[in-house]
Amino acid sequence: MMLFSGLKFLFCFFPAFLAAYYCTPKKYRNLTLLLGSLLFYLLTEPVFAALLLFMVFLNYGIARQISRLPRERRARRFWLFLGVLVNAGLLAAFKALVSLSDSLWLPLGLSFYLFKMLSFLADIYRGEISQMPSFLNSATYFTMFPQITSGPVMRYREGAFSPSGRACSPEMAEEGTRLFVLGLALKILLADRLLLLWQDIHTIGYESISTPLSWLGAGAYSMRLYFDFWGYSLMSSGICVMLGLPFIRNFQHPYASRSIREFWRRWHMTLGSFFRDYVYIPLGGSRKGTWRTMGNLFFVWILTGFWHGEGIHFILWGLGIFCFLLLEKFLIRNRLESHPFLARFYVLLVISVTWVIFAIPDREELFLYLGRMFPFMGGNGGISVNPRDFVKFLRLYGHYLALGVLACIPAVSAFYERHKKHPLTTAALAVIFWLCVYCVIHMGSNPFAYLKF
Amino acid sequence: MTGKIKKCPLFFLLALSSLLFMGSGILKNKPPWALEQAELPPVSLKPAERPGGLSLGNSLWGKLQGISPSPEETEGNAKADIPPAVEPPPARDFVTVGEDYFDNAVFIGDSRTQGLLEYGHLENRADFLCKVSLTIYDFATDPFIRDEASGQNITVEEALGRKQYGKVYIMVGINELGTGTTETFLEAYRAVVNRIRELQPDALIFVEGIMRVTGAKSESDPIYNNANINDKNNAISTLADGEGIFYIDVNEAVCDEAGNLHGEYTTDDVHLKARYYEIWKTFLMEHGI
Repeated sequence: MMLFSGLKFLFCFFPAFLAAYYCTPKKYRNLTLLLGSLLFYLLTEPVFAALLLFMVFLNYGIARQISRLPRERRARRFWLFLGVLVNAGLLAAFKALVSLSDSLWLPLGLSFYLFKMLSFLADIYRGEISQMPSFLNSATYFTMFPQITSGPVMRYREGAFSPSGRACSPEMAEEGTRLFVLGLALKILLADRLLLLWQDIHTIGYESISTPLSWLGAGAYSMRLYFDFWGYSLMSSGICVMLGLPFIRNFQHPYASRSIREFWRRWHMTLGSFFRDYVYIPLGGSRKGTWRTMGNLFFVWILTGFWHGEGIHFILWGLGIFCFLLLEKFLIRNRLESHPFLARFYVLLVISVTWVIFAIPDREELFLYLGRMFPFMGGNGGISVNPRDFVKFLRLYGHYLALGVLACIPAVSAFYERHKKHPLTTAALAVIFWLCVYCVIHMGSNPFAYLKF
Repeated sequence: MTGKIKKCPLFFLLALSSLLFMGSGILKNKPPWALEQAELPPVSLKPAERPGGLSLGNSLWGKLQGISPSPEETEGNAKADIPPAVEPPPARDFVTVGEDYFDNAVFIGDSRTQGLLEYGHLENRADFLCKVSLTIYDFATDPFIRDEASGQNITVEEALGRKQYGKVYIMVGINELGTGTTETFLEAYRAVVNRIRELQPDALIFVEGIMRVTGAKSESDPIYNNANINDKNNAISTLADGEGIFYIDVNEAVCDEAGNLHGEYTTDDVHLKARYYEIWKTFLMEHGI
């Protein structure tokens, strides 16, 4: 396993790759990227590397068939249908088999590369990719290592995949480095620390935590999930920018949202827009009446739930979000818009509860936890609760929580953006990088939370 | 070239320092990529060793390593060895006592005793000199206790020198499993018990056997397993003299028939869930002298 935050990647694979990439003449850089990506995959997931290669050839073949046929031919539809069937079927089959078997696992990045392939086929079909790309460019897009493990689900047309259209400048190398260091810091210095709070609560046992601690835990988990995945996304996009590819935004201050709907437009944006463009809108979106809109939303959220895992809690989680989206759409949208402060509070409250549902797979344990969060709503009184437990946790983790809150505030990001080229910022980022390395060496690191999808 | 460096200072700074870091590592035969810990380190006992783990806090600072004392230090502590009694006195029987038994007790220990403090409901009766990942080697060297009277940070040894107790309970040893041998552990433990006897001449000393881990953990962990724990427990049980020093083993109350920590009592295979600290407390109450 090679993680972006691991020492093998930071001090072996990546420097060697980057040196090779920069030394390659521009014309052949895709070849270097493709070979590097295949090597990366082979080192990380040797068992299923052949599957990736097979899917690359298969999808390129299908895309070629679609692009060759004139727009009016029905056969185009057949090829697209076949492509969707194969890709979605493979994903569904793997998910089903993994849940049934102990010895099988989901191939690394399977859903992320299959989503890219699906979007590629659909875009060729719709004519959004006007010219059939070369095999080398397509294969590079499908397999490129910065995105293969957990996305972002970039679209082909978003990137400069023909080497001639790709500019690689010192400024981009610098910006990419900055993004990478920020992502690394979010992951190592915040997400991994906040996870400990969540694990400590698990050690205590959910029946014995005080209500304030249960909310502290929900908050810590919400931040941890965000910094883990946002951190990964920044590292991924940072690498892309260093290679001369565009920055793909995957998060845009979701915790500053004023509605659940807005939250889901700012959280894991590439997955959201994938479901919107390739599932929700083809189903009719919101153009076919209220009932159809509700049905489409329901389908998308059940699908999102299933995508995250087979556990019943993921379905419950998807359903919960669906209910709040409906509530907003038909009842409280105006009220949310006229009370921005209350709206933010409502989002944080609802989202942290949905993350608790997302986090706890065991139904009994989940209801125990929710019972501690809402003791007044028929929840249990708790067993052996230490009513001052949250004080200890605030003392232990308060500074991480405070830093986390800061990192969630858009104005802090804006401040960084304004001053990111200042020599002091540069020095601070260099120190932060080495602090992260120190932490990785001495404390180890968790795999990214989104690896298992 | 200089122009380029000016345009991307951070990139060059990191590239250069990384090269130096890699170079020095390779020269020392320890390339950075070989320093990587196991990808999914087993859930361990010290927060600092858990996946991504670090638990910071004034009194709960998790040390990275249990530091063994130098031999001199150990001998220094051991100088007051009590000569063995010519005839061993008759062993005293354990009796069941009430909670007020702990009114003049002090508990010394690691994260598990910390749990007893937080969830055993004894905090208003007994004193607790405990912190996450405390080891027997920290007894006289780690000033983690805040002495309110003087405003100083003091060690367990110093704390025991400042207040007299009727009972001293001690449970450490799990964090030491990866350090030294059973013999070195026993010697350090013996030195600590002797020092406690010196500082607390009238107190009953309860050497508590190290609580075991679950079967799942024990079978998969080369260090933190029950064979290792039992070995250490057998060693420290010999410190009991049946008169002022007693060995008690809470494993009798928290383990299943196979002798492993009951899976139901824990979520991390090592620490009791909060609600089960009552079992430990009840066990202690059934083992008064």
